[in-house]
Amino acid sequence: MTAAARADSAVLERLRERIRTLQAAPRQLLSVLRTGLPPVDGLLPGGGFPLGQVVELWGEPSSGRTRLAFRAIAEAHRALRLAAWVDGPGMLYAPALPPLGVQLEQLLVVRPPESKQLAWSALQLLRSGAFVAVGLDLTRSGVRLSPPESRRLVEAASRSGGLLLLLTPPEAPADGTLRLHVSAAGPRAMRLEVVRSRQGGASRTVEVPWDLLTPGGPSDVGAGSHGLDAPPLPVPPSTPFRRARACTRDGLIGIQGQRPGRDLSLPSFAQALGVGS
Amino acid sequence: MSQRVAYVHLPRFPVQRRVLDEPGLAAQPLALVHETKGVLRISFASGTAQRDGIRAGMTLTSARALLPALRDGLYDAAAETQALSSLAEGFLRFAPAFMLSAPDGLWLDASAASLFGGEAGLVDKVEAQARAAGYRARVVLASELFTARALARFGAATRACVALGDSGRALAALPLQALEDAPEVVASLRALGLSTLGELSALQPTQVISRLGAQGLRAQRLVRGQDEARLLPAVLPEVVEEVRTLEAPAESLEPLLFALKAALDRLSARLRGRQRAAVRLTLTLVLEPAGPYPVPLVLARPTTDPKLLLDLVRHRLESVRLDAPVATLVLTVDESCEDHGQQGVLGDAPAGDAALETVLARLATALGPEALGSPVLADDHRPEAAHAPGPFRPPRREPGMFAEARRSPPVPPPPPDWQLERPVRLLPGEGEPIEVELDALGALRTARVLGKRRKVLAVAGPERLGGQWWTETPFQRDYYRVHLDGLGPAWVYRRAGEDGFYLHGLFD
Repeated sequence: MTAAARADSAVLERLRERIRTLQAAPRQLLSVLRTGLPPVDGLLPGGGFPLGQVVELWGEPSSGRTRLAFRAIAEAHRALRLAAWVDGPGMLYAPALPPLGVQLEQLLVVRPPESKQLAWSALQLLRSGAFVAVGLDLTRSGVRLSPPESRRLVEAASRSGGLLLLLTPPEAPADGTLRLHVSAAGPRAMRLEVVRSRQGGASRTVEVPWDLLTPGGPSDVGAGSHGLDAPPLPVPPSTPFRRARACTRDGLIGIQGQRPGRDLSLPSFAQALGVGS
Repeated sequence: MSQRVAYVHLPRFPVQRRVLDEPGLAAQPLALVHETKGVLRISFASGTAQRDGIRAGMTLTSARALLPALRDGLYDAAAETQALSSLAEGFLRFAPAFMLSAPDGLWLDASAASLFGGEAGLVDKVEAQARAAGYRARVVLASELFTARALARFGAATRACVALGDSGRALAALPLQALEDAPEVVASLRALGLSTLGELSALQPTQVISRLGAQGLRAQRLVRGQDEARLLPAVLPEVVEEVRTLEAPAESLEPLLFALKAALDRLSARLRGRQRAAVRLTLTLVLEPAGPYPVPLVLARPTTDPKLLLDLVRHRLESVRLDAPVATLVLTVDESCEDHGQQGVLGDAPAGDAALETVLARLATALGPEALGSPVLADDHRPEAAHAPGPFRPPRREPGMFAEARRSPPVPPPPPDWQLERPVRLLPGEGEPIEVELDALGALRTARVLGKRRKVLAVAGPERLGGQWWTETPFQRDYYRVHLDGLGPAWVYRRAGEDGFYLHGLFD
């Protein structure tokens, strides 16, 4: 064999090895989906929502569960993976998702016409293996998963290596491998408690400020708001409410970046309602 | 400019087709018969039957006397031509036009051969496609219609290309039988002791015209490679439809699926030939005696993949209960679109794409196409109108090595400010009216939300959204983010000029 032929052979072998590595790569890239919230990721065994499992977010419909789930889905989108959301109550509001990092074109939203098709839809999506994360929102759907349905979902998640994010209402918990109880802890934070976990960490609790859930979102306890249990904040005069980031005109906002009515802080209800004036 | 055409000869096409539909007939003596003057005569006989002496034109009675085990079926010329046309449509992947030569052949316009590895490449590809469809084929490419057909039918090679100007030499060795359209000329030539086309070609034209007349001269011009006939492109039917009549009415799913597989293979090949992809199909099951039973099939994404279509049909039929056996099935493409094809990628699993297509099709069929999609933002101030369902078209994944090289995905543009203050759940329509309790100063104290009266912990707002003042239904709302005890933030609004409050969203 000549030197040139040997060199060619070595190059080919290196290329083959590279191809093997690349082909093996996609499954190895992700083992958990992080929420990007240090308190939450720190609470979860493995540092995020583990793939191949059913993670149940159990709590009231305004406790921050959905945003938490979509922060994990955003992580999947950043890794150029697809995610699906089975929207039981049909209440998912798309304009709130891009600020969480969700790429709408990589999100399949399924709204079955009948509530009994919810679990079936999630099962099909999980079994396909085409989606790295599937959300199943059973809030206000009147559906409680039966043990066989739960088993099938757990098995499908395990086989496909996908993550099932199961959102359940307080009155109808399901049978998630990892169950987190999500609740509001006052106007400043939400609370997460690990209720069930095969990998340990049960009963651990953490509080996450609401402000952290939507990156760059408004602070509910800052200017322009007040807590009624606390002394009322002085209502500032009508100072323009502007954001630090420059706004570009897109037909929705004014030339100074303001929206109609946004320049006012909390108005007096007394005046508005004609009470006590 | 001289034309280049390829002739695809499918020996005993109707018999091949029958065997494809009923694999049990393979290697059995089979004859297709037609009725003439009250007598059943053989139109086509399989190779096995021919070896036992069965010939076209024999009566079925005499054929049976010769070979009692002979299986027979009716020959339907119109149906065979239709099937041949369907097969020809599949070749449109390689040729811009075709012309039928019923019952067992067709010409293809070979002018696009350079796109398929030259003329030899085109011939190989056409033969391979016919083989993939289950047919034995002989393909010859030449400059004249007669040359291509005669060599494909009577030549020795199964695949051949005849160079421009070489037709006379290529045809010389063929028997006179190749002059199929001029049987009188053939008979006269045989009487003169001639046996090959080359011998006819070598005669002086004056001798030919004096003995055989104009017909003879025309035949000589053909065998000298001077055929001036042009390929007349066939007109494609507007509706892509595949009809399959079952040998015996199917009472279970198994035989039905077998027939469907063959029909879907043909349908997909036709669509690919037309460079179209199916969006919506209807499978009509003709029940005996109940009549047609349509089964609509909706695809989430356009496709020509027969495997995916079969999977979808199987899934759909599992939920269908039929009262009578199925005698005939008709597959009709109701809607199609341009097929952009799918690019195979290195590093990513093609199986993943197929899985995605399958699950989307399955969900669309079971739940209805409107039940799944990808949300699209709409330019509207009214919150409930600010989004709409759109088709789910995830961005095409880049080939693996490039995706690997480009580790960091594109950074999306920052969302507009107003999106930061939108709830992730929006109640249907304009929301639900809620009972509130105000204190003496007019501040919110409690609100009845989600079936419970809850203490208001904090309020932020308002955000005034208004518009449509130029229409019959203007709106102006002041939105507040209200923290409620036991819940997270809720999105509550009050209409201008009204006292009532509405719950419109939840910051879940």
